[in-house]
Amino acid sequence: MKEVMAIIRMNMMNKTKRALADAGISSLTARDALGRGKGMVDMTLLKGAELGYEEAISQLGQSQRLIPKRIIFIVVKDKMVKKTVKTIIEVNQTGKSGDGKIFVMPVSDSVRVRTSEKGDSALDD
Amino acid sequence: MIMIRSIIRPERTDNVLSALMDAGFPAVTKMSVVGRGKQRGIKIGEITYDELPKELLITVVKDEEKDFVIKTVMQAARTGEKGAFGDGKIFVTPVDEVYTVSSGIMETDSGATEEVKI
Repeated sequence: MKEVMAIIRMNMMNKTKRALADAGISSLTARDALGRGKGMVDMTLLKGAELGYEEAISQLGQSQRLIPKRIIFIVVKDKMVKKTVKTIIEVNQTGKSGDGKIFVMPVSDSVRVRTSEKGDSALDD
Repeated sequence: MIMIRSIIRPERTDNVLSALMDAGFPAVTKMSVVGRGKQRGIKIGEITYDELPKELLITVVKDEEKDFVIKTVMQAARTGEKGAFGDGKIFVTPVDEVYTVSSGIMETDSGATEEVKI
């Protein structure tokens, strides 16, 4: 069992949900989160730079600012990890920085509360 | 790779974030959460508050940087001389694989990289 934790753009959430459901991964947990990466983007500076202000351009990449993101948690069986990751990347990739990160972590056990099934069978449909 | 989840006081968030930035770890995800610790919340008069607001910071770092990041967060999140109850907890979990969505590059524990073909 593995946990796939993906941090993606807010406006990609609906597309991602649909693609995951089509791929047979229907269960997920999602939350709003704020975050920053290596990019260090400041929206006001970005706007200033777009309008061509020299000062704004020179300060790009120096400030720290948290950007709203969506974070998804999916627990899947080992053999589904590749498919999950591939689906998320396929939908979310625009090639620009800020597309997000995906982390794959081990999970030692899972339990279905309704029936108290344990292990892989707790993840079956 | 290692995931470090720190639950800290909301008022120390800015302090911790700038400490991490100065230490060279800009990448952080922040969420607001509520929780209680082994103090069973705070009791003021008759009322017990056991859903205390906290901030959850998630950072993923290389194995060898783990101790340094934990030290940085701990230093920045502590209040008072010796720290106080409610300053927070730090949890450390292993991460097997890290994917960057924009490039599709996968990084593993051993430092090997591999590109995912779409």
